Amino acid sequence: MRLRMTGAALAAASVAILAALSFSAADAQVRPPATLGSQIVDVPEKPGYVPSAEEEQLDPAFRRQPVYFRTNEAPGTIIIHTNERFLYFVQGDNRALRYGIGVGRDGFQWAGLQKVSRKAEWPDWTPPPEMIQRQPYLPRWMAGGPGNPMGAAALYLGSTVYRIHGTNMPDTIGMAVSSGCFRLINPDVQDLFNRVPVGTKVVIRQAPEL
Amino acid sequence: MKKIAFALAAAGIFVTAGLGHADTLADVKARGTLKCGVSQGLAGFSAKDDKGQWSGFDVDFCRAVAAAIFDDASKVEYVPLSADARFPALQKGEIDLLSRNSTWTMQREADLKLLFAAVSYYDGQGFLVPVAKKVDTALELDKSKVCTQSGTTSVGNARDFFKQNNMALELIELPTVDEVVKAYDEGKCDVLTTDVSQLYALRLRLAKPADYIVLPDVISKEPLGPVVRQGDDVWLNAVKWSFYALLNAEELGISQATLEQALKSQKPDVQRFVGTDGSYGEQLGLTKDWAVRIVKNVGNYGEVFERNIGTQSKLGIPRGINQLWSAGGIQYAPPIR
Repeated sequence: MRLRMTGAALAAASVAILAALSFSAADAQVRPPATLGSQIVDVPEKPGYVPSAEEEQLDPAFRRQPVYFRTNEAPGTIIIHTNERFLYFVQGDNRALRYGIGVGRDGFQWAGLQKVSRKAEWPDWTPPPEMIQRQPYLPRWMAGGPGNPMGAAALYLGSTVYRIHGTNMPDTIGMAVSSGCFRLINPDVQDLFNRVPVGTKVVIRQAPEL
Repeated sequence: MKKIAFALAAAGIFVTAGLGHADTLADVKARGTLKCGVSQGLAGFSAKDDKGQWSGFDVDFCRAVAAAIFDDASKVEYVPLSADARFPALQKGEIDLLSRNSTWTMQREADLKLLFAAVSYYDGQGFLVPVAKKVDTALELDKSKVCTQSGTTSVGNARDFFKQNNMALELIELPTVDEVVKAYDEGKCDVLTTDVSQLYALRLRLAKPADYIVLPDVISKEPLGPVVRQGDDVWLNAVKWSFYALLNAEELGISQATLEQALKSQKPDVQRFVGTDGSYGEQLGLTKDWAVRIVKNVGNYGEVFERNIGTQSKLGIPRGINQLWSAGGIQYAPPIR
C-alpha cells in the first residue's frame, strides 16, 4: 500500500517537473529588486546639460562589471532585465558584462526579442509628442552632441521606436523615468556600441505580474 | 487527496513507533518553539547582537520555518553549535533543524544518516586578491603566494587548480583563520583562498577592505543547506517546502511589499502560492496560508539574501550563482501545484 502510494506520488512529481520545465522556459521571469519600486518617476529632460565625470561615477552596483551569468543565449547577445535595471552583454563561459541602466515607461510594457537594426553615434533628438505635451518648452529637434539627451550613441531595436541609448542625466541610472527607452551613461553606451554589431540579438525581460 | 493524507498519517504512526522520535512537526507544534541549530557566529549568516537578538541568512531560514508553523518568526530557540557538535546535536534530537552553513556531501547523508532538505546557498572555493594586482580571473594567478588554513579541503583544491592550469603555486598554510587574515594583511601572501562566503566575511577584517576583490572564479562545490534527521518525511517536506516557498515567492514577484496585491491576484500560480486556490499547505501538515506567513514574516529569497549578505549589506556578496535560474543563476524551486 505504501509502496504503491510512493510510486504514484513519484510519477505525479515527475510529470509536474516536466510540465514546469516546458512552461517556464518560455515564460522566463526575473527578480524584483528589494530596493527598487516599480513606480515611475517624472524627471524632466535637461537638453543642453553636460554631466561632469564625477556625476558619471555610478553606485558600485550599477558600474560596468564582469559578473557570473548563466544563460543559453550565445555570446554576444544582449539581455535586458528591466526590473533589475541591468543590461547584460553575454560573454560565454558563464560570464557577462553587466551595465546599470535606466528604463522608461515603455520599458515596462513589453518583453520579447529584437535585433539591433541600426547604430548611430551622437544621434539627433526628436522628442516624441507625449514628451512635448508634458514639457512644452522642449525643442522640437536637437542636433547630436554633448548635452543631447540621447547621449553618445544609440542602438535601434528592430523596427520599433525603442532604442538603447546614452544620457546626459547619469543620476537617472537605476530609475524608471517617464521618458526614454533603455539608457546607459555615455561611457557605457560607447563601450557597448564598440562591442555590438548591427544584427545583435536583444532579449528584453520583464518582472512577473501578480 | 484524502488517500495521500491517510497514507502519510499511517506512515507517520509507523515510523514514530519504530524510532521513538520521528514526528518532529507534531513535537514542534506541541512545544510551541522550533529548536534551530546555528553557527556560533559568522557575519551575515548567523550572529547574535548585544541584545541577544539573532540575525543572518541561516537565522532567517529558522525564522521562515517558524513562521510557516506558528505565523510568528520569533518562536525559535537558537542553539549555537561548533562544527564538531552540529551533527551529533541533530542526531541526538537536541535540535529539530540544523541551519548552519553546512556543506551537503554524500558522507553526511550515507554515513551520518542525515538529509539535506535543499541548497539554500551555493558556495565554493574562491580567491581574494588586492585590486592593485589588476587580476580579472584566477587563471592569471601564476607564481602567486597563496595563504589558506591548514587541514581544510581548501589546501587540496588550491593545489589541484594550480596544477591543472599549469601555474606555479607557493602555498602558505596556517593553523587558524586569524593567522591567515593577519599574514594576508601584513602582505606575506598576495592571494587568500577559502570558500567565497567566508572570503567576503574575512575581507571585512582587513585594514582596508575596499582594496581587495573576490574573483568571480569558483573552483569547488560547497552547496550549503538546512539539514534534518532521516526517518521523518513529514518534517523533511515541511522544511524543504519552506525553502522552496522563499524561492517561488521571488520568482513569482511576491515580496513583503507586494504581498497584499498577491492575495488579490487572479493568476493561478500566485493563487496556489498564497492559498486562495488549493490546500497545499494543509496537505503538508501546515495551514492554507503557510507561504504567506513566510513572506509576511521573513520576505522572499531575494529579500533574505540582500538584507543579510547581498551587495547592499556589510558583506557585499553579489547574487552570482545564487541568482534565480531565470535570471542567470542556478537557484531553482519545483512549482507549487
